[in-house]
Amino acid sequence: MDANLAHLSAGFGAGLSVIGAGIGIGKLASAALEAGGRQPEAAGELRTTMIIAAALIEGVALFSCVIAMLLAIK
Amino acid sequence: MSDLKGTNLYSELGQNAASQAHSGGSTAQEHSAEVPPSEVFPTLLGTMGEHRELTFFHYHIIDLPVIIYDKSDGLSFYPNIDAMVESGKYTLSTTHQIVKTSNPSEKPTLDLSITSLVCFQWLAMAILLVTFFTVKLKYKRRPISAPKGIQNVLESVVIFIRDEVVVPNLPDQNLAYKLLPYFVALFVFILLMNLFGLIPGGHTATGALGTTAGLALTSLLVINGTAIRQIGLKNWLHHLLGGAPWYLFFIMVPIEIISLFTKPFALTVRLFANMTAGHVVLLSLIGLIFYLKTLFVAVVAVPFSIFMYALELLVAFLQAFIFTILTAVFTGLAIGGHSHEEHNESH
Repeated sequence: MDANLAHLSAGFGAGLSVIGAGIGIGKLASAALEAGGRQPEAAGELRTTMIIAAALIEGVALFSCVIAMLLAIK
Repeated sequence: MSDLKGTNLYSELGQNAASQAHSGGSTAQEHSAEVPPSEVFPTLLGTMGEHRELTFFHYHIIDLPVIIYDKSDGLSFYPNIDAMVESGKYTLSTTHQIVKTSNPSEKPTLDLSITSLVCFQWLAMAILLVTFFTVKLKYKRRPISAPKGIQNVLESVVIFIRDEVVVPNLPDQNLAYKLLPYFVALFVFILLMNLFGLIPGGHTATGALGTTAGLALTSLLVINGTAIRQIGLKNWLHHLLGGAPWYLFFIMVPIEIISLFTKPFALTVRLFANMTAGHVVLLSLIGLIFYLKTLFVAVVAVPFSIFMYALELLVAFLQAFIFTILTAVFTGLAIGGHSHEEHNESH
């Protein structure tokens, strides 16, 4: 029972964190594209900044994935 | 024999495929009886990529030595895993982990074995050293003639790292040039290790937490070492206050100290998770064919896994780049007092 609950919570946790990260990266990409469209000469710098920010958002999602893995192994 | 050595799902799947082709079907049940279902996931995660021999598909290439240190027993060295089991001191558990024969629930203190991951990490180091030193020799021999062959490759890598990663993120140019070798080595090393995982028979050393933690440890040292050298210990400690008034001391200092260690931890987990996730997806896609025991799944699974493979190629480059650029950004932040306008004027 405990193990099943752990698996369930791991699945839910991973899913919820993916929702958060998806919203985050989506908003980020849309803002970066908009900015790049308005000001094409800044696109290169924007891309680098966007990748860094995306990596940071992804990092948070990956933390939750690690927690989910730990739960699943339990 | 394969029970002792092939502790991974890759080879289990491969053997399944081979024996199914011969005797049609019944082996899958036998195999699942061997590894209990509740143990499959830990087995998969625990031994993913980390083998105690080098193989190319089914062909056995070389045994790798097992080196174990234990507090009570001291250092022991075995030429391969079979020799370790025969010696009687240690044995393998059902989840294929090394445990003591006298007490199966107890693991040895340290497992210093040269696993396949270590082999491929050394291979990456060797390639790195050999290429960079041959290129250095070439430059020494003919300093003014146009670069040729491998020189062009390395030059483009070095210039990319210099112009895109290091110079824009560090406050002054001299410092950027001083730190450039570290960042170039970091990028090429991570990239090589990532790419090894995409070669048949290869292993991704960055798919192990130990490797990425070691890399992040160097970045922790570089970030804070550079900051302390550039702005002095006093200013570095002052940064821990985060620019807040003194009465916020008790809140800010713990937060800043935690953030000091979260940065390398995030680097560790990001690289590890990205490299592992790709492999798990590929493994699951191919595993579906064996799980559902029909070849029709392959029509979907194989093209999709080729797509994932291409995606992994992108991720291998991207993660090497992100690790490097985040280290550079954090170094710049730790030094502080730098704005982009200032930098653009100096060009």
